[in-house]
Formats: sequence, C-alpha cells, structure tokens
Amino acid sequence: MDDGTFTDGVDRVAEELARRTAMFGRSLHIRTVDTGSCAVCESEIRLMAAPHYDLHRLGFFFTPAPRHADLLLVTGPAVRAADTLLLKAIDATPDPKVVIAVGACALGGIYQEDELIHGSVDRVVRVDVSVPGCPPSPLALLQGLLVAVGRLQERAQAITLDLDAETNR
Amino acid sequence: MKDLIVGLIIAAAAGWLGAAGLAPLAGRGMGLRACAWLSGTAGLAAAGGGVLLAMHGSSATVRLGGGTVGAASFTIAPLAAPFIALLGAVAVANGLYAPRYHHPSGGTAAYLAAYNLALLSSLAVLVAGNVVAFLVAWETMALTCYLLILRHHERPGVGAAALLFIALSEVGFALIVLAFAILATQTHTLELATIAARAHTIPEAWRAAAYVLALVGFGFKAGVVPLHIWLPAAHPVAPADGSAFLSGLIIKLGVYGITLFGFELLAGGPAWWGLLTMALGAVSAVLGILYALMERDLKRFLAFSSIENVGIILTGLGAAMTFNADGQPVIGTFLLITALYHTVNHGVYKTLLFQEAGVIEHATGTRDLDRLGGLIRRLPRTAVICLVGTLAIAALPPFNGFVSEWMLFQGLFQGFRIADHTVGILIVVAGAAIALTGGLALNAFARAYGIPFLGMPRSQGAARATETGQPVAGPALLAAACAFLGVGAPLVLTGLDRVARSVTGRDIHSELLFPQLGVIPAHTNFSEFSPTYLAVFLIGIMIVPIGIWLAGRPRGARRRTPVWDSGIVAFRPRMQYTATTHSNPIRVTFAALYQPEVHLERSSDDPAGRSGPVHYRAAITPIFERYLYRPVVWLVDALARLARPIQSGDVNLYLLYVFVVVLIVYVVYAS
Amino acid sequence: MAFWFYRGLRRGIVTTRYPRGRPDAWTADLPTPPAFHSSRLTDGLARGLAEACPAGALLVENDELVVDLGRCTGCGRCAELGGDAVERSGEFELATAERARLIKRVPIAGARR
Repeated sequence: MDDGTFTDGVDRVAEELARRTAMFGRSLHIRTVDTGSCAVCESEIRLMAAPHYDLHRLGFFFTPAPRHADLLLVTGPAVRAADTLLLKAIDATPDPKVVIAVGACALGGIYQEDELIHGSVDRVVRVDVSVPGCPPSPLALLQGLLVAVGRLQERAQAITLDLDAETNR
Repeated sequence: MKDLIVGLIIAAAAGWLGAAGLAPLAGRGMGLRACAWLSGTAGLAAAGGGVLLAMHGSSATVRLGGGTVGAASFTIAPLAAPFIALLGAVAVANGLYAPRYHHPSGGTAAYLAAYNLALLSSLAVLVAGNVVAFLVAWETMALTCYLLILRHHERPGVGAAALLFIALSEVGFALIVLAFAILATQTHTLELATIAARAHTIPEAWRAAAYVLALVGFGFKAGVVPLHIWLPAAHPVAPADGSAFLSGLIIKLGVYGITLFGFELLAGGPAWWGLLTMALGAVSAVLGILYALMERDLKRFLAFSSIENVGIILTGLGAAMTFNADGQPVIGTFLLITALYHTVNHGVYKTLLFQEAGVIEHATGTRDLDRLGGLIRRLPRTAVICLVGTLAIAALPPFNGFVSEWMLFQGLFQGFRIADHTVGILIVVAGAAIALTGGLALNAFARAYGIPFLGMPRSQGAARATETGQPVAGPALLAAACAFLGVGAPLVLTGLDRVARSVTGRDIHSELLFPQLGVIPAHTNFSEFSPTYLAVFLIGIMIVPIGIWLAGRPRGARRRTPVWDSGIVAFRPRMQYTATTHSNPIRVTFAALYQPEVHLERSSDDPAGRSGPVHYRAAITPIFERYLYRPVVWLVDALARLARPIQSGDVNLYLLYVFVVVLIVYVVYAS
Repeated sequence: MAFWFYRGLRRGIVTTRYPRGRPDAWTADLPTPPAFHSSRLTDGLARGLAEACPAGALLVENDELVVDLGRCTGCGRCAELGGDAVERSGEFELATAERARLIKRVPIAGARR
C-alpha cells in the first residue's frame, strides 16, 4: 500500500514494538548515538523528557546501555572516526531493534561526503526511520518514535509542497 | 619418642652443616642441586622433629663440652617446637626453589654456604640451653644473614641495606646481652632452665628491666615499629629465597625471644608488660599496613606486610600476658596458642609470597607493580599459587590466616572479662586496631594481586613473561600447607595446646576444641567455629552457582557480541589503574601520617599544557628515619667528634697517657 | 511542597496531548520546510533559490524544483528570497520509513508555458 505504511522488514519490527507498548506491560528504551553532531539534536531529544512533551507518558524511556535499548536515535553526519562507535553500538543492541536517523545531518544535508565524514548515516548502517529537521522539534521526534513503533501512520507521502496543485485541480 | 626427636634435630643440624660444606660445589649445576636437596632434606627432618616435639610436649637436654663458660648446653623445649617446624618447612620450600631460581656460579656458592649456616645457627638459637650458646648462635645467625643479604653486593644500594641490617641487629644484640646479663647475675646461673626456675626470686625492678630490654632488643630483630627500618631496606635487595627466609623465619626468632622472656624465663609479670607489648604490636600492625599500601616495589610491600603481621603476633602475646596477669589463665593460654599459630601461618604464606615475587622478578625483569599486568595469562600456575597465598594472608576462609585471625579477635573481644575496666577497654581498642589492619590488608592485597596479575601488561617485560624454567614445586608445597593448616586447624591446635601446656602448665584442650572439629575461644558460651566444616561447606556450596548455570542457560537464538565498552576503538594499558592510583584514597585519608611531599615542575604556566612536559614527583615522608634515627646518629657523631682529640696521632701524647696510667696504678696499689 | 502544587494548579497542565487532541498553539511558530506556489515560480527564481539553500535541499531538474525534505533545515532563506512564491509549509510531522518519500517535486510554472 502506498499511503504511508511500511515495507516488510520494518513492518514486523513495528508490529512487535507496537504490541509491546500497547500492552504497557513493557516500556521502550531509547539510546542516543552521536556520530559527530553539533549536539542540538541531542538537546531536542533530551527535551522530550521535559514536562511539556513528556515521552514517558507514551512508554518511552532513555537508557545509557545499548544492551537494554530497543530504539537507537542516531544523530550527526556519520564522521568516519565514529564508525567504530556506531557499529559497536548497533552490534551491542539486541534484536529486535529500530534505528532512527535524526536531523538534517544524519539524512545527508549540509555536509557532503569527503575523507573525514560519510555524509549520511545510511551510508554506514541500515536506517529504519528518518526524522528530518534542524533540529527536529520534540513534537517531530515524538511523531518519529510513534511512527517507528507503529502507533501512528506516516504522513510524509501525503505531504505536498505545491500549494497551487490543489487549487489547480 | 624423645630419642627420635633428638635424632631428627641432630640430623637436621648435620644436614645443614653438610649442605654448607657442599656449597662450594654449587658453582656447577649438579652441585647446586645436591646442596639444595641436602638442605631440603635436613629441613624435612627439622619439620618432622618440630611436629613430633609439639605432639610429645616435654623437653630433652643435651650437653656438649665442659667447664662453666665453655659449655654449650642444648635444650629441645616444646616452646621452640612451632618455630623448629616452621624452620624446617621454610628450608624444604627453599630447597625445592633454589635449583631453578639460582644460576650456578661462585656468588651462588658463597650465598648457599651462608644460607645453610644461617639455617644451622637459627636451629641453634631455638635449641640453646644456656645463655652463652644462645648469644653465640644469635650472633652467628645475624652474621650469616648479613652475608646472604650481600649476595648481589655489586649492585647499588645493597651494601647500605646490609649495613643497616647488621647495625640494627648489633644494637638489638647489645640490649639482649644486657637482658640476659641481668637474669644471669640475679639468678647466678647460665642455664636457661635454671633461670626459669629461679626467676620468681628476682626483685621486681630487675625483672621489669630485663623484660623491657628483651622486648626492645628482640624487637629490633622482629621488626617492631619504630625498630623496623632495616626490613624494607634489606628485603628487596636479597635474593627471593633469602628474603623469604628473612621474613619467614628470622623475624620469628625475634618473636621467639620475646616469648621466651615473657612466658618461660620470667614466667609472667604485672599487666603493664602485656599492655606495653600489645600497644607496640597494635601500632606496628597499623603502621605496617599503612606504609605497605604506599609501596610500588613488590618486595618492599611484602616487607611492610611482615611488619604488620609481627604486630598482630605481638598483640596476641601482649593480650595473653595481660589476661594471665589478671588471673584469666585460660584466655591467656588461648591467646598464646593463637600467637604461635599466627607465627607459623605467617611464616608459611610469607615465604610463599616472597618466592613468587622472585619468580615474577625473574620472569618479567621488574618488581615495580606499575610495570606489571596481565600475568595471569602469561604465568598461570604462578597466578594460582599466588592467589592461594594472597587469600591466606588477607585472612579469607578456608585458609590458615582466617582461622588464626578469627581466634585473635575472639580472644581480644573477651576483654570485658577483666575486672579493671581501663585494661579491658585497652584490650578492646587493640582489637579495633587489628580490625583496621585487617580491612587495610584486604585492600592492600587486592592491589598487590590485582595490579600485577589482572588487566593488561603495562610494560614489555610483563608482556613477554614466561613460566618455563621457573620454580613451581616449592611455592606449590607451601600453598598446600596453607590449605592444610587452615582446614586441619583442629590437628594443629591440638599440638599447639600441648606446647602451651608445657609453658603455662595449663591444658585447655576442652576449652579449645569441641568434639565436632570446632574451635571455641576458651569459653563455651562465647562463640564457635569449625574451619574443617567451613571448607567442606564452601566446596559444597559451589553446587548452587553450577546448578543455576546448568538450568538457566537460555534456549533459542542467541547472538554473541563483545562486552559493551562505550565504543572505544582499542584498550590501552595506560587506561588502567596503577598501583599508585589504587591506593590514592588511603593516601588522602591518612595524609597527616604520610606527610606526602609533592614536587611539580612545568616550564611555563600555560594551562593548556602546550609548554612541554610537566614533571610530577610525590614521595611520603619517612618519619622514623628523619625524626628518630637521624637525630640519634647525629648525636653519636657529635660525641665521636668530641672524643676524637684523644686519638691525636701524636706519639708524645700517647706516652703521656702511659705515664699517667702507670702513676695512677702505682698510687692505687700503694694505698 | 504546597507552593509548587498551587503554582501548578494556577498555570494548568502544560503537557501537550500529542498525538491526541487539538494541536497546540505554539506549533504554528515552529521552523518548517518551505511550500511553493508553482504558478509564481520562474526558472530563474528557482535556480536562485537552489543556489541560496545552504543545506543543498533545493535542486532544479527537468523543469521541476526538487525539494529534499530530509536535507531542509527550516532556515527560511528561500522564503525570504522567494517573496510571495515561497512560504512556510507548517508541516513538522515528516518522519518516514522510506527515505525516498521525503523528496518532493514542484513543477516550475515558467516552464509550463
């Protein structure tokens, strides 16, 4: 289907994670991995725990240990010096896991590939969900998390940037 | 039985004399092995003799020579039994250790000759029956130990360390001679047994003087703080089996001397003797382990640990004397047994640790803890044996150190039974001090085992260490002995009880051992503990974790990944703790004692560190050398300078001296 | 303790009800990617906007302005330069499992003619 649902692989993962949080018997743990960002995306991620947004009410929690994580939030333009870190963190996280690339840097914006950086995270690891923004506001991040666990449908496909297209129809 | 014991002791003495005679052949490989085997076999005889003597429990006397001063009489008394057994055990272990540790050479030959003569003279000290024999044997022991410390005399610092050893030994010897002189002149005899029989006739002041002189004189040899400074100097420079012999046996001869005076010759005195001994012991224990924690050199660390353990033994002896003086001979005897037991235990595991320190030094080329690391992979058998020794000395079950320290605590905690509250409180304070040393010792030995054996190698020497050609049999035997002395404590305590009975006349067997292999501290309603059952239990309880592991292995898909290390690229040895940083909390807490001096040099004040290297040097203040010994040395030097004009070198002045003396003699005889 | 309780009661609950409920008032001020009036876009304007974009999110290709939402930082330079042809889209719920869905195409009206 082409109206915002998932491809097969992420589908299964999302179903599993959705089942977990829906029951509220298990919470979802998030671990952030910084591959060389300016740390503003990290600030916005941390801000999700503030009372204004409160991701805990949705069943998400932060953890410093990849062993306990279900979701990895990867920021930064995948600096080559952080390859070991990123690959080790992915390896240390047990399956099933979801990798979310957060921010314009991680999706390939601003910095291009050269001898010091890869440019985007999906050149190093397989990315399941992308959350654009610079930085993405905590609401955008919440939407990204809920999309990743299958509790919200995507809206990206339906967005159009041509304001005259609707009027011209 | 008596003949057998005497025969074994004489065989041991003959064996060591023979080994000393064989020593010149140690310039070649076979000669070295023959000398070591003879020495070890003699040690076996001595150990057997000591054990049988303890079980038998009565003395045997042998006289050699004639005349009043020229006679040497030897009495094999039960009090010496644990020490003789320990001497034998150390000799056996060193005999197994020497062929692989030493290289055949002229220096080794001289060393082995001195070592075997030291063994012989130590035996003579332990079986001496009169004052002259004791003093001659003591001096011979000191001189031969001086020679064996000088094994590597060409290296820097060795000569100075050996000189410090012999100088302090001589000062102690002078005090010992004075103590014996007081006893001999007051009782009009040179025989030790007769002195013991007549000791009660000596006036109180002379008895007190004799005991204090003996305490200080033998304290120099035992390594009591502040008389200890030769120990950390001499132990690192002697060869490993020499250091093992020094720490395992020689300092115990100092303890033997104090026990001889306190319990046998003077047969107890007022409570302040015991309190003084106990105070010295407690202070030695605490200061010994505190200084040990600051050491980077493995052998200096073990030397300070010996000082700590001698303090523990003296605390036991002092408390025993105090209880005896207060009319509680049962607890007093119990604490005497504890002190003797701890003596044997410490001899065994300290010898083991020094031998292993020698193995480490030869395998890696360094004794510096901050240059070792990861040896558990390179030297696996050494690591296991050293672990046994470390657990024993840190007083962890089921080994021997745990049993003797438990007994000491149980004895000290019964201080409330003494009517005089001040004395009782002092005893309990001593118990608290020993508890402090127990905790610090655990920290110290976790550091001394963990830094060299665990982690990554901190130097090339440690990374390339190999176990081929290193001695294993000697240390392994001692490790087995540690386990036996701990698990078989009821057997050992039966023997020590008979030894104590011959000294104090009381048999406390029923107040020491319960029928079912339990040890009780002299009162049935206080506490009880069975080392044998504890060992069985500890082995049996391993079923639980093994069972959990077998039952709980996860089924289903598993993926193995490395331990999460925060994603760093590679571990480097410099990321680890060093021995210095491991003991930093202690250094900070006890800074008032250590008075650390820190020198920091940097070329400029640029805080970013771009100015070049920064030099940091930190040292602790040696307060005894600086504030006690240096002023005494300065005083002696000043007095000598004052007296120097007498020896002016002018012949005329010397003729004047002769004339004046003749005049005086004439005047005196004429009147 | 009581002070914070009364302060909270006076101010009310500030936690957003997202994803349920009405959108909060302040979401209108969030920096969001641009939306274009394709009829007012000329070729020259489009190329100028593509040059000005610091993140490389705009590209002119085959008479279309290709907008990569993944690269857009929401800085607003194209909105300033483009005058009435460009305005803020107000879209901030952009997460997707398929990276390609973030690449949008806007026809350039100037080319239609």
